[in-house]
Amino acid sequence: MPAGHGLRSRTRDLFSRPFRKKGYIPLSTYLRTYKIGDYVDVKVNGAVHKGMPHKFYHGRTGRVWNVTKRAIGVEVNKQVGNRIIRKRIHVRVEHVQPSRCTEEFKLRKLKNDQLKAEAKARGEVISTKRQPEGPKPGFMVEGAMLETVTPIPYDVVNDLKGGY
Amino acid sequence: MPFVKAQKTKAYFKRYQVKFKRRREGKTDYRARNRLINQDKNKYNTPKYRLVARFTNKDIIAQIIHASISGDIVLAAAYGHELPHYGLEVGLTNYAAAYCVGLLLARRTLKQLEMDAEYEGNVEATGEDYSVEPGESRRPFRSLLDVGLVRTTTGNRVFGVLKGALDGGIDIPHSEKRFAGFNKDSKQLDPEVHRKYIYGGHVASYMRTLMEDEPEKYQSHFSEYIKRGIEADNLEGVYKKVHAAIRANPEAKKSEKPPPKEHKRYNLKKLSYEERKAKLIDRLKALNSAAGVDSDEDDE
Repeated sequence: MPAGHGLRSRTRDLFSRPFRKKGYIPLSTYLRTYKIGDYVDVKVNGAVHKGMPHKFYHGRTGRVWNVTKRAIGVEVNKQVGNRIIRKRIHVRVEHVQPSRCTEEFKLRKLKNDQLKAEAKARGEVISTKRQPEGPKPGFMVEGAMLETVTPIPYDVVNDLKGGY
Repeated sequence: MPFVKAQKTKAYFKRYQVKFKRRREGKTDYRARNRLINQDKNKYNTPKYRLVARFTNKDIIAQIIHASISGDIVLAAAYGHELPHYGLEVGLTNYAAAYCVGLLLARRTLKQLEMDAEYEGNVEATGEDYSVEPGESRRPFRSLLDVGLVRTTTGNRVFGVLKGALDGGIDIPHSEKRFAGFNKDSKQLDPEVHRKYIYGGHVASYMRTLMEDEPEKYQSHFSEYIKRGIEADNLEGVYKKVHAAIRANPEAKKSEKPPPKEHKRYNLKKLSYEERKAKLIDRLKALNSAAGVDSDEDDE
């Protein structure tokens, strides 16, 4: 019998619940709110069968474009052939987590605004651009002992062990 | 000792998955909680309030709570042990007291939200099914009844709390099927019977039967009632006065409590990370100095 390519084919491990985390899902998943434009990660929860996305979307991150009673519309990029399509799927909230991909950016934005405000108060101009890590500075090596290593002259008799 | 095969092996413990803590304690029904808390996502942060009615052996607890990720937040609470302030000192866990607690909680929350003038509720408790009508400016305060783990039978005291809150002016979706006095055969609520229960009529009739048949038992069972001069006939009057007192001033009274006294510690206090590191450094220093002394002695 051939393998079959059904909707949930090859998802035996992908959709299974992790070790000792089976059964009831914690209620904080239901208490989170999502607004349009938020970034979310799609992570399928095998315990809830309704509103499951296709296995392709497991692990993808997209933006919220719609909020309904129990589900969220997420816009995810998918490569089809030679182009990338923006696909819109609806997923129940159990299969969605808030994404932390923009967290670092948001924090940096806040900090930069704060730094700029402070600099403006002092009247100086600062650059808040991120700089890549440069080469390491030069340093003196301490506690170095000079050891001269010379090769020893070749000793024929000793080196021919056994077989002559 | 005979050889007993170990039932719970190490492998059993390694694979065992514990239930949620409150399920292990047997206090929360997560299936019900899930359905009570879940809010439509397109209502975003609108809180979904639940009227929690719990009964202990000597007390009634009624709270209006809404859920949040960091923990549930209580909007207002009313307890059975507050009823002495309103004139009810005995029978603090019966159906009539439950009605009083529900009424107190409803008036308290409405006063807190400044809606109490608009939503009077049912002032005269008739036992009929009463639902709040929407007022002029604001929509009524809506909450859902959370019974907990009780078996919802007809005439249960949680529905006494429910009836009290309804008559107080809170909008709670309900059906009259479980109120005391609902007739299963005719599928109708008999308001007279329900009214009897609200005013403690069932307690009064028991008092009357005991007085006739077993006066000694009556003396022992209802001793506190007798001490306060409450008899079967004036029981209804007592509850009417309590209802009026609740409607007059539902504010919670803050009781003055002396600050709790310090107890002697019997176990060691848990140290913080910094304290533990500092302790380790001290120990090493002591070891080093002792070792230094020993090695000096050895060298000598």
